[in-house]
Amino acid sequence: MSLSTRNALIALGMTVLIIATVTYAVGYLDRLRLTEIETMQNTISTETLSLETQFSLLEAAPCENAASSTTLSSELADLGNRLSYAEDQLGSTNVQVVQLKKQYYLLQIRDYLITKKLAAACRVKPVIVLYFYSNANDCKDCDKAGYALSYLRDTYPSLRVYSFDYDFDLGALKTLIAVSKIERPLPVFVINGKQTSGFTSLLDLEKQFPKGALATTSSER
Amino acid sequence: MSSEAFAYPFLFLTIFFESFLLITFLSTPARASRKRAASKKTPKVAIIVPCWDEETTVGGTIESLLALDYPREKLDLILVDDGSTDGTFAAMNRFAGNPQVMILQKENGGKHTAVNLGIAHAKDAELIGCLDADSFVEPQALREIIACFDEKEVMAATASMAVHQPRTILQRVQYIEYLLGIAMRHIFSITNSIYVTPGPFSFYRTQVFNEIGLFRHAHLTEDMEMALRMQRAGYRIENAIHARVYTKAPATLRKLFKQRVRWTTGFLRNVLYDYRDLIGNRRHGVLGLIILPISLISVVFGVFMFGTSVARAGQDLVHTIGTTSGIPFTYIVTNHSFGWFYLPYSTTFFLNGILVAIILSLIIMGKRVSRTPGRLMPDIVLYIFVYGLISPLWLITSVADVARGAKNMWR
Repeated sequence: MSLSTRNALIALGMTVLIIATVTYAVGYLDRLRLTEIETMQNTISTETLSLETQFSLLEAAPCENAASSTTLSSELADLGNRLSYAEDQLGSTNVQVVQLKKQYYLLQIRDYLITKKLAAACRVKPVIVLYFYSNANDCKDCDKAGYALSYLRDTYPSLRVYSFDYDFDLGALKTLIAVSKIERPLPVFVINGKQTSGFTSLLDLEKQFPKGALATTSSER
Repeated sequence: MSSEAFAYPFLFLTIFFESFLLITFLSTPARASRKRAASKKTPKVAIIVPCWDEETTVGGTIESLLALDYPREKLDLILVDDGSTDGTFAAMNRFAGNPQVMILQKENGGKHTAVNLGIAHAKDAELIGCLDADSFVEPQALREIIACFDEKEVMAATASMAVHQPRTILQRVQYIEYLLGIAMRHIFSITNSIYVTPGPFSFYRTQVFNEIGLFRHAHLTEDMEMALRMQRAGYRIENAIHARVYTKAPATLRKLFKQRVRWTTGFLRNVLYDYRDLIGNRRHGVLGLIILPISLISVVFGVFMFGTSVARAGQDLVHTIGTTSGIPFTYIVTNHSFGWFYLPYSTTFFLNGILVAIILSLIIMGKRVSRTPGRLMPDIVLYIFVYGLISPLWLITSVADVARGAKNMWR
């Protein structure tokens, strides 16, 4: 065997080894990412369950926990960001991503229900936004609307934004869509129960909010 | 299919190619070649200096040749003024009284005609070398080159070419690029795959010109064509890694662009039109099976990847502007998530990182083994960021020029 042939064979082996190692490492990091999301989800799920259990035990809303509910919502937002990033990286059809997204949507719906209960029982007035978007290329304004809502949520801590992929296959979500009477065209916003569709600008979106709702300090109590 | 999917086969090929280079660099024959001592033999040598409008540098070039550690009676310098329009001829005439120096003047006809005239006057030389009039040699360079010819089958030898006094950012980027070139030429010589015998200080046995002919126009890359012609004839081309020669690199983007378009179009035209039979030809070993095919693919892929990257960046920019319109700028700038979770890694990201790491190691090894002076930092960082941005400019232009049959100029 000539020197060149030998070197070419070693180089080929090296190439296969490098690519296999990198593929494994990327897969490992991706699994770590998903595990982190799963861990966050489990924590939030436990805390949500704790709140729900307190409701049941006291047979009334545990109003002193309204603040912790707000913290939960911001954690939920962080979880949503991470899940969205993981979805971008791994693809929306990734089995684990789909499973995590289902759990995330369930958590959002449970948090939404708890927030409504707390609002009714503890005389707090959180601003609740349900946001329905689509990834099916039929919603050219969804990205703009999503970014504007992220800005509002980050700027006004009292806002509670729950985002849902309209076409996602989850029973609880379909029920939420049915009871909220959400229909295309998207995006659709439900701001404190009032439904609007379409997005033109941040300014127009802000006008949809109740007066004083967009204050930089919490106005829940 | 996404551009990333197209990238995988190319990444595979490039990693294979770079691994091959690295392994060859570390192989026993390469190590032995690096240990080769400067020759004590003194065959009769003629060095031709073709000049065209080089009044500012030709004096230094000739002085460096006269300072070579070599017996005067065995070294002739043939200076050829190829119809310069500036003071080049006068600068050459400063050396008219030196018995080693022969000065010739002719009408402008292109570099190959000037070198050929010099060869015609180098009748009793065993070895004929060339040195561009913007290049300078170290005193030991010729003895290092001559050591390569100890082996009878070696018909030509190249030197280690570095950038002379890099000053501008572009020259410093080229300084690093030339170090990579030193490593590559050294490795190519181990597998007899050198396909350019550069103007700065390449040497040939006189019989080469008798057997396969003189230099040709060759799409303005006569040094490449000569090497390819020698490869087709089955000759061996060596590299003297310790023979250091320094050349003036273009200082401005316009000059660099012009030079690189000439080189790249010359490569494409020579290989695709005149030496296509070498590609994939087992008789030409590594050159035919690996180096020429991968070099060609690199040009095409470089253009493709640059095009898709620019298109993608444009789309992303339009999307970002559209998505963020109306949102306060401070939020857009500061709203970024940090932490390992958000690291934008991917398989191509890591593979590209490995490619860069191999290239950097070749650059460092090229500098070390050739003992080329100069600093690596921060020029190596400049090279990584600047070269990738500017090289597609001449790749795209060259492919377009070749496709539409455009004529290229020397300067």
